[in-house]
Amino acid sequence: MNATQDPTAQAPELTPRLDERIRAALQTRTAMAVILAGLLALIVVLAIVQDVSAGRILSLTVWGIMLGGVIGLGSIGLTLCYGVLKFPNFSHGAMVTLGAYVTFAVMQALPQGEVLRPFSFGWEFLVALIVSMPVVGVVAIGIDRVMYRRLRQRNASLVLFAMASLAMAFFLRSIIYLVWGSDFRFYYEGRANPALDLPFGLRVQADQFFILGLAIVLVIAVYLLLERTKMGKAMRATANNPELAQVRGINTERVVAWTWLMGGALAAAGGAMYGLASQLRPEMGFWLLLPMFAAVIMGSIGNPRGALAGALIIGVAQQVSTAFLNPAYGPGVAFILMVLTLLIRPQGLFGGTE
Amino acid sequence: MPLLKVENITCGYGDMEVLRELSVEVAEGEIVSIIGPNGAGKSTLMKAVFGLLHPWQGAIHFEGRDISRLEPYQIVETGMCYVPQVANVFTQLTVEENLEMGAFVLKDGDIGARKEKIFELFPRLKERRRQAAGKMSGGERQMVAMGSALMLDPKLILLDEPSAGLAPKMVDHIFERIVRINETGLAIMMVEQNATQSLRMAHRGYVLANGENRFEGTGQALLNDPDVGRLYLGG
Amino acid sequence: MDQALVAKSVFLAVPLLLLGLKLVPLRWALRIPVALVGAFVLALIISNLLPSGKLSYLVSFSIMAGIYAILTLGLNTQWGFTGHLNFGIAGFFAVGAFTSALFTTAAPTGVMAQYTQQAFGFEAPFLIGILAAAIVSGFVAFLIAIPVLRLRMDFLAIATIGIAEIIRLIFQNERWLANGPQPLRGIPRPLHCLFDEPSCAPGPLATLLQPLEPRDYIYFYLCVVTVLLALTYLLVETATRSPWGRVLRAVRDEEQSAAMNGKNITSFRIQSFVVGAAVMGLGGGLYAHYAVTIDYSHFNPLFATFIVWVMLMLGGSGNNKGAILGAFIIWGVWSGTAFLTGMIEPTLAQISQDLPARSAYLRWLLVAILLAGIVLYRPQGLIAEEKVVSRFLAKTGIGRGRRKQAREEEAETAS
Ligand SMILES: Nc1ncnc2c1ncn2[C@@H]1O[C@H](COP(=O)(O)OP(=O)(O)OP(=O)(O)O)[C@@H](O)[C@H]1O
Ligand SMILES: [Mg+2]
Repeated sequence: MNATQDPTAQAPELTPRLDERIRAALQTRTAMAVILAGLLALIVVLAIVQDVSAGRILSLTVWGIMLGGVIGLGSIGLTLCYGVLKFPNFSHGAMVTLGAYVTFAVMQALPQGEVLRPFSFGWEFLVALIVSMPVVGVVAIGIDRVMYRRLRQRNASLVLFAMASLAMAFFLRSIIYLVWGSDFRFYYEGRANPALDLPFGLRVQADQFFILGLAIVLVIAVYLLLERTKMGKAMRATANNPELAQVRGINTERVVAWTWLMGGALAAAGGAMYGLASQLRPEMGFWLLLPMFAAVIMGSIGNPRGALAGALIIGVAQQVSTAFLNPAYGPGVAFILMVLTLLIRPQGLFGGTE
Repeated sequence: MPLLKVENITCGYGDMEVLRELSVEVAEGEIVSIIGPNGAGKSTLMKAVFGLLHPWQGAIHFEGRDISRLEPYQIVETGMCYVPQVANVFTQLTVEENLEMGAFVLKDGDIGARKEKIFELFPRLKERRRQAAGKMSGGERQMVAMGSALMLDPKLILLDEPSAGLAPKMVDHIFERIVRINETGLAIMMVEQNATQSLRMAHRGYVLANGENRFEGTGQALLNDPDVGRLYLGG
Repeated sequence: MDQALVAKSVFLAVPLLLLGLKLVPLRWALRIPVALVGAFVLALIISNLLPSGKLSYLVSFSIMAGIYAILTLGLNTQWGFTGHLNFGIAGFFAVGAFTSALFTTAAPTGVMAQYTQQAFGFEAPFLIGILAAAIVSGFVAFLIAIPVLRLRMDFLAIATIGIAEIIRLIFQNERWLANGPQPLRGIPRPLHCLFDEPSCAPGPLATLLQPLEPRDYIYFYLCVVTVLLALTYLLVETATRSPWGRVLRAVRDEEQSAAMNGKNITSFRIQSFVVGAAVMGLGGGLYAHYAVTIDYSHFNPLFATFIVWVMLMLGGSGNNKGAILGAFIIWGVWSGTAFLTGMIEPTLAQISQDLPARSAYLRWLLVAILLAGIVLYRPQGLIAEEKVVSRFLAKTGIGRGRRKQAREEEAETAS
């Protein structure tokens, strides 16, 4: 699987030393950060050139940070699974969607209470969110038991895992379609959600702050779990070296189950937040898939803080670029950032050079 | 009764046979050295003992208990630990976290005290306790790996080429520590490329070739055996 | 006998003849006449036995299955023979379809230009159109290959999913390119005039076509698709058996050793990716001329990719015959589930009144389960790769060789 082929490696005597040095310099973390910052600056400059007012650019930036929160929630889960299980889970988008819809279903079952001003939602949304997180986590564990665990036992190749996750993406997606149909759904049909008036003419909804706040809280929680608890350390150990983890007495199957639980729960939170910010559609998770993967790769696979950082960068880039680009191309912006990362520093912003 | 008794095991990867009817024994408090050419199956033997591979035939007894069907995480709890030949530390975890992972199966914790014991044995680790293991030198890594394995106070420790790739000075240091560990009553079964040196410190030794047991005897006897010398000790 | 049936049988005989040439186990001198006669007789039997509605269904089914078989062959070149994990098949499919459409239609003028916008329209012949489809699709693949093919396999999968999505976004949003979200209509069908007014055909052909109606055009198009499928098969098969193909497999299975042979691996990897994408583009072109009207929604980034992978996985990756077989079987399953859901619709209605309208997604569900089953129970597919040990067994195969060699060496040293 050693697919990374450096064409220059075959003819070392032809490669000038300077070239190598430039290449090495470009691949440092600093260079990567500079390039990303430059790219964001370029996007802002492009917006200014198109006569977009500074106030609007500021608003877009703030909205971008909020969008980054949604992407971030999804990508923390994705990065954990990627790090521990070592395959890209293409059904993560479907789990995000599932989380949004399970939240919706739970809300339907609950009586509708007071609106928690200044937010647009009531307590029933929070309850539904808290219920849907473990539900999706358990669904993820169930899928693991049926599919991925058997592949693990067989030491199956990465490709089979990827194919299996593609099948599961379709599986979950068709179930969502069957149960809830393809129409738009709203957590609160037709409820007004006025923006707060902030200084500098910023207009941001309180909900958006909630989304960002939740993302930050969950990232901190995940971070503490990984750094301070025994299971968290075992997860990092398993991600780092699964065979040694077994040798040290870690029951890796349990670690894997915990990983899915967390990944699914975080995906559900992301889905519910996304649904709150816009509306529910069966493809919503798929649209997030590309930005999520971009954030994961940019922030180094297996690194939750990195994933959130990547998500924020991608969120801002996507939003600000709408000043001069058709908003539909948001995933395209994420894609370009991802390819750039892969070209410059495939191990991401926070990855070591092992 | 020997501490570890490997009886006539046949074992391999997929359907490729690597070990053929191999028997090895380790008595309590003994250092057993296993030598042999590259690809002889030395590491495979270690993996089979530790449950990473399950023997196709034969049995493995540890303290009289059949462990050949146990998984590694169960074997750890029986009082045996293993330091693999390669990738034997968690490179992304700190030294301290590596040691904690060594004691993962411990439910309640005098983990702090155990860590201190390891730091006594390898003072260098104490200085570097917060450093990621991946950023350490080869010798230091070997210390981390051995330290993690010792965290559980095992009765037997399996070492797969502890001196591989180390500078001569570091090799001496590691061997000296191994003897010291053994003096506390721990049995050691180790694989070594440094055959002469390891046979010299071993109570007994085995020469493996092609997945089969070619010679066995006390360390001194093997050192003096002309065939062993010619074939495996480089003349 | 009904003249229309005879005419239809002549068309049906073409795919059967190709199949016969491949399958009849005789020397070529005998095989050709046997296949020829057999194909025509079989065609006559089929067209006489089946009512005309069923017969047309069978033909349109085979056309779509044939197009998917071409896509699957393209994927086999990339994945089966080189190990590229391309999850963006839908993108190349779309590029091929739109390219061929743009090449063969006329750019609208006057009032029409307000309703239909397209970047250009060359009114080129069909063959030029599908050739362009293959070339442009291959070129797009080339552009993508340079940054992406150096990456790990899982990154390639992610990147290609992204590419398919972006290609779809472009066709959805860029009105000037191919009429944006609106469908692109009136893509010409090759030699359609034969069926509109048979007199435009030369003498004897005209009499043959006389009894046929314009809607019987699909019989002719089936021949077009199967001939191109056969050509693609020959091309891919020859290529993969050539030294080129052997290098590709070497690159896939044991990259290091190929590197030691001094071959330029990256270049080989790019070549196979481009060739595979060109084949997919050809499939897209064929689809456009069959569908006549296309828009971005026909190229759902997940669905097209997904189903082609199911086809290849079922058929057995690395095996071209298996790829074609897998395409026909899976397209059959997919079409069959339409009947199935139609049948259980009343039951569905009892469970929930919304369900019948959503029964299409039940079909997705079934195919998803099918793929999961293949991955779990038959990852090597129906037909395992020929000659070379299948990918999933390769490791032990190589290991055994090495082990034996080691024993021999050991024996020498010992003696
Ligand atoms: N994971 C594996 N899968 C398949 N074959 C393996 C695997 N590991 C080792 N082998 C094969 O098993 C045989 C014995 O390998 P092993 O690692 O036990 O040798 P060794 O005696 O430890 O050699 P060394 O001195 O090089 O460490 C070799 O032929 C090797 O190719
Ligand atoms: Mg070894």
